[in-house]
Amino acid sequence: MQISINDADVFVSTGGRTPDKDAPVLLFLHGSGQTHLSWLLQARFFANRGWSVMAPDFPGHGLSSGVPLTTIEAMADWCHTLIKAAGHKKVTVIGHSQGGLVAMELARRHPEIVAGIGLIALALAIPVNPQLIGMAEDNEPAAFDAMVTWGHGHDGAFHDHPMPGNSHIFMGKRIMAGNPEGTLAVDLKACAAYADGEKAAASITQPAMVILAGDDSMTPCKQGQALAAAIPHAKLVKIEHAGHMLPVERGDDVNKALRRLFEQTGA
Amino acid sequence: MSKSFGFNTLGLHAGYTPDDRHGSRAVPIHQTTSYMFNDTEHAAALYNLEVGGHLYTRISNPTIGVLENRMAALEEGVAAVAVATGMSAVFLSILALTSQGDHIVASSQMYGGNINLLEHTMSRFGVTTSFVDPTDHDAIAAAIKPNTKMVFGEVIGNPGLDVMDVAAVAKVAHAAGVPVVIDATLNTPYLMKPLKHGANIVIHSLTKWIGGHGIAMGGVIVDGGNFDWGQNDRFPTLTQPHFAFQGVNLWEEFGPAAFAMRVRSEGMYNIGPTLSPTNAFHILQGIETLGMRMDRHMANTAELVAFLKDHDGVAWVNHPSLPDHSCHDVAMRQMPKGAGSIVTMGIKGGRMASQAFIESVELASHLANVGDARTLVIHPGSTTHSHISADAMKAAGLTDDLIRISVGLEDINDIKADFNRAIKIAQKKTSAKGS
Repeated sequence: MQISINDADVFVSTGGRTPDKDAPVLLFLHGSGQTHLSWLLQARFFANRGWSVMAPDFPGHGLSSGVPLTTIEAMADWCHTLIKAAGHKKVTVIGHSQGGLVAMELARRHPEIVAGIGLIALALAIPVNPQLIGMAEDNEPAAFDAMVTWGHGHDGAFHDHPMPGNSHIFMGKRIMAGNPEGTLAVDLKACAAYADGEKAAASITQPAMVILAGDDSMTPCKQGQALAAAIPHAKLVKIEHAGHMLPVERGDDVNKALRRLFEQTGA
Repeated sequence: MSKSFGFNTLGLHAGYTPDDRHGSRAVPIHQTTSYMFNDTEHAAALYNLEVGGHLYTRISNPTIGVLENRMAALEEGVAAVAVATGMSAVFLSILALTSQGDHIVASSQMYGGNINLLEHTMSRFGVTTSFVDPTDHDAIAAAIKPNTKMVFGEVIGNPGLDVMDVAAVAKVAHAAGVPVVIDATLNTPYLMKPLKHGANIVIHSLTKWIGGHGIAMGGVIVDGGNFDWGQNDRFPTLTQPHFAFQGVNLWEEFGPAAFAMRVRSEGMYNIGPTLSPTNAFHILQGIETLGMRMDRHMANTAELVAFLKDHDGVAWVNHPSLPDHSCHDVAMRQMPKGAGSIVTMGIKGGRMASQAFIESVELASHLANVGDARTLVIHPGSTTHSHISADAMKAAGLTDDLIRISVGLEDINDIKADFNRAIKIAQKKTSAKGS
């Protein structure tokens, strides 16, 4: 699905189904340097089970035109515009990593539009290592290598993908390399600069779930647990044997957890 | 521990995690046709490409899946699909991109089976091919038409042993919006990874060096995930709604893995050249030692080439490692560890002498294969390439006296002794007939 926002064409994956205006809406937000393909194992799954799925590529990512947004706040406002442009009044928002920060900020700034929130592989803040940001600015392929390598748990590192024949590592690198040059650095700086995680978490009154990966070396579990504790009434789910790229590493387990959230939100 | 692994480590481990229930360290053979579904929803999800897993072995299988993941890892591709043979890998790759009225630009210097498939089989279904010299990049550019869907060639031509400059060919093809499909059987990912040089799809006959034992047929298609299928309207099989799976747009929903998904979702569903799980297991045993075997193949090849070059009974020797080979520089740049273990030569005395040599070897095996652990010899003009036209033979660099040698892993002194003896017998027989 293509939607025009601020004179830019935005690509929104609907999981291969024509969106049903009456169906509950799920908004999936990808992480730094990623695209809608982060939701390979969620978009089609939920779209074929009665939900209306929106998994956009943020501006300047994947199949969307435009330039990358530079702050988490701007991304949250952009999501609000996207939801309105698609004609929806309320969505359950699910964010992975940077997308999780955007989801929290969306809930803080526009609470009336958020029915529930799912946060995957996230902490209250993502204080990106300055060396990684420098690498993304000066030697992007090296930054892709570092992020993809450290972003996966044991199975991902050994190319043991749930989809037969697929490689996490090289798929991850190609997705990142498919974005315009410089995109990753803009995203990482936006993450590093975002300091309102605690305020955003405390403001969430909607049903919420934090899903963490046992082997996440980018947003370690301990930090994710602090996030869950900061959100009133949030449910915490920990999935073992997976790294930061949890949605593709353990798609089935993530989907099971999200379903429990969606039952709560009525989504 | 580092999470980034070297070639030999991936060859032993990639694609497989011992299962919790049995803990089998070696990859188990899942010799089954089908798989239990958890419930009807699980079955529907598998049928609709929503979740990972297996539903029927024609489409995918856990043992074959390990092989696919391992080959994707070794070639640095986003996804791989393993099939019954190398030829079926070539066919399914063509099927994934072409329809009636489409066109292919292909190397004129390829394995006879590839030439025949394009010239005689695909043409019957309206897919035509222009064959060009793979070292003539201007000719490749000139041959590309608006309906061209791929540039196809071999890194090391069989049996001419010309070497394609993959980066240069990719530059020409990509400028025209066309992907490069490479049959990399003769080099294996140990000697060269074509995707790193700009190729987009890599094909192997796994039957050859990758298996290495000569006991199991197999093929694989590796998707580099490095081609923008949406850059033009040339690739509707990937960018338009699929005829099945509720009209999924593979480029939008699977991105870099769109090509591999088309191969599996059409080639394996509608044609079904399925690799047997047992053969996948055998090939995996070969991959575990691919790196060390290739080192030995290269060492033996270097010594045999030097031996033949100095032999009085040998009329000529051809291998890309030789400084006077027309592709020597390209070969050394692309394959610094070695330019493969196929060597060609002619015995003084012409075709009769070459045939007499083949009939006189005792250690080497006279058969139609390459890449076996054992040394193999054949006369392509009367066997592997006998079904192609005289013009195509000439274009493929095939001379009447050409002997193709696939250098094996035996002790090199034994190979040299066998060849020395056979060369002498061949010359004796030829001179006797000539007198």
